[in-house]
Amino acid sequence: MSRFRLRDLLRTAWLGVSSRPQRTALASLGVALGIASLTALTGVAASNQAQLLADLDRMGANLAIVTPAPGPDNTPVPFPETAPDLVGRVDGVADIGVFETAPEGVKVYRTDLVPETETSGLTVAVARPDVFGAIEARLAAGRWFDDSTRELPVTVLGRTAADRLGISAPGDRVWIGGQWHGVIGILESAGLATEIDTAAILGDRWVRGAFEGPHIGEISAMYVRAEPGRISGITDALASAASPGSPFVTVRALTDLADARTTADDSLRTLGMALAGIALLVGAVGIANTMVVTVLERRGEIGLRRSLGARPRHIATQFLAEAAALALLGGIVGLALGICSAATLALASGQPVVIVASVAAASPVIAVLVGAVAGLYPALRAARLSPTLALRAV
Amino acid sequence: MSAVIEVQGASKTYPSTPPVTALHPTWLQIHAGDQLAIVGASGSGKSTLLAILGTLDDPSEGTVLVDGHNLSGMREATRSAIRASRISFVFQQFHLLPTMSATENVATGLLYTGAGARERRARAVAALESVGLGHRLRNRPGELSGGEQQRVAIARALIREPAVLFADEPTGALDSATGEAIVALLTEISRAGTAVVMVTHDAGLADQFTRRIRLKDGRVVEREASSPDLSCAHTSAGVSL
Repeated sequence: MSRFRLRDLLRTAWLGVSSRPQRTALASLGVALGIASLTALTGVAASNQAQLLADLDRMGANLAIVTPAPGPDNTPVPFPETAPDLVGRVDGVADIGVFETAPEGVKVYRTDLVPETETSGLTVAVARPDVFGAIEARLAAGRWFDDSTRELPVTVLGRTAADRLGISAPGDRVWIGGQWHGVIGILESAGLATEIDTAAILGDRWVRGAFEGPHIGEISAMYVRAEPGRISGITDALASAASPGSPFVTVRALTDLADARTTADDSLRTLGMALAGIALLVGAVGIANTMVVTVLERRGEIGLRRSLGARPRHIATQFLAEAAALALLGGIVGLALGICSAATLALASGQPVVIVASVAAASPVIAVLVGAVAGLYPALRAARLSPTLALRAV
Repeated sequence: MSAVIEVQGASKTYPSTPPVTALHPTWLQIHAGDQLAIVGASGSGKSTLLAILGTLDDPSEGTVLVDGHNLSGMREATRSAIRASRISFVFQQFHLLPTMSATENVATGLLYTGAGARERRARAVAALESVGLGHRLRNRPGELSGGEQQRVAIARALIREPAVLFADEPTGALDSATGEAIVALLTEISRAGTAVVMVTHDAGLADQFTRRIRLKDGRVVEREASSPDLSCAHTSAGVSL
């Protein structure tokens, strides 16, 4: 039985590919572009997502807002005063901050001369000091409430509120509920907790003493920060801890918001796959084309090999291996190209560089498969060539 | 003495309209150490006969026996194995692979025999030395003269130690002096026991072989043997005129 060793097959294929560098480069270009776009676009999508996740962690992906829901009489059913304590004991909760009900109809104005209707879309919130840690707030200027300032007519402004009121530094004052309040701090943007951005925050004890209303002092919202990755698993536990035995609780995880944004990335990945698919198809056609020409050109060699005892199957595997080698070269170049462009794009937009490992590992395999499929027809043609015709064709 | 290769009434007809008969029924035996020249003008059917003898092509009618085994109905894999172990070819155009050195080209003669790379290389060097090219081992075909290239091709044929070496116009691309030297090499090879079958249109070269058959329009029109030590049995038997 005539034999053709695997090592000899690979060497023969490599000789065929390496002896015509220009043709090899052109033939493998399509596969290179296909693999490059696959690697680059999945990498870009992964970078975006990594950036988004990092943003979310920083800006409140771990936050849930627990609020009283309207009861049978359509007014919110207040939480018991023990609610923060109970919620704090739920496994997975890292921190908790409590907002109290703001005095009704009270808004914030730059001065006492501003008409009451011009609220600039700003609200007034009443916070206990623990809110600062729970929302992981950062100060743009000034300071947050402490035990003494929570009893005084002072306010901390959210980022947007400060901008709209035209206040850039603490020390100024604003008009809230018929009296002046000193600004002691301005917060950085609070990320996903957007309500805080547009609020003028008052100290809880000050509001209890200075304002009157049916719900003053009641808990209006608890901002719960969970340990990383735990938020979606504990929302039910939060609800029952906030108001044991009562269904009138709303728990809103800020990740729900974020989910919408991750799906946008899925479509980018799909686009990458589609582009890569088209480029690989074009690449396969290019390789098939080149191999048909190669088989025609090398009819003499095919005849010689048959005369040396090569079986049709040996001829077919030789040209199949050549097509696969062409594609593999393209795949390797494309992988390098894709990694470089994904990294460049990520660095240029300040995102973390992420290469999807499974895509990178699969690229050479995909390339070889594309090459094998493309080489099938030319290889079979070569194998079917009659030795005498092949030898005569030179 | 049994024949290495024997054709019995082999003919070749191509199914065109009208059908073209390239070779009419022919009987022929090739024994170890034979020197057979197949002579004829172009289109006389000599290359067709060579392809059938060399198992590269099937006859339309008749049988081909190699070592007594009938080739008709044989699987292509088995025929390839027979070629790999028993039969070698030398062509007018040399058919050397341009990107390989002389040694590598000769080593391809053993590529399909299952021999390992080291053994192939060692035997290739020996084969090149036996055809007088021990000093050209690393040269590529483009760096060799026509005569040297044909010697490389002959070394590639000899490396397999074939029972029969078929040479299809081996001097066709060479000048006459170089051609003479190649034919001398081929006759020398046959003395070592390998049968050499050469197709040529050059009667002068054919005369240096002990047996000659002449083809015209696909028929054997003349058979002669010039060496008295060869039995007449395989020159006169089954002549088809």
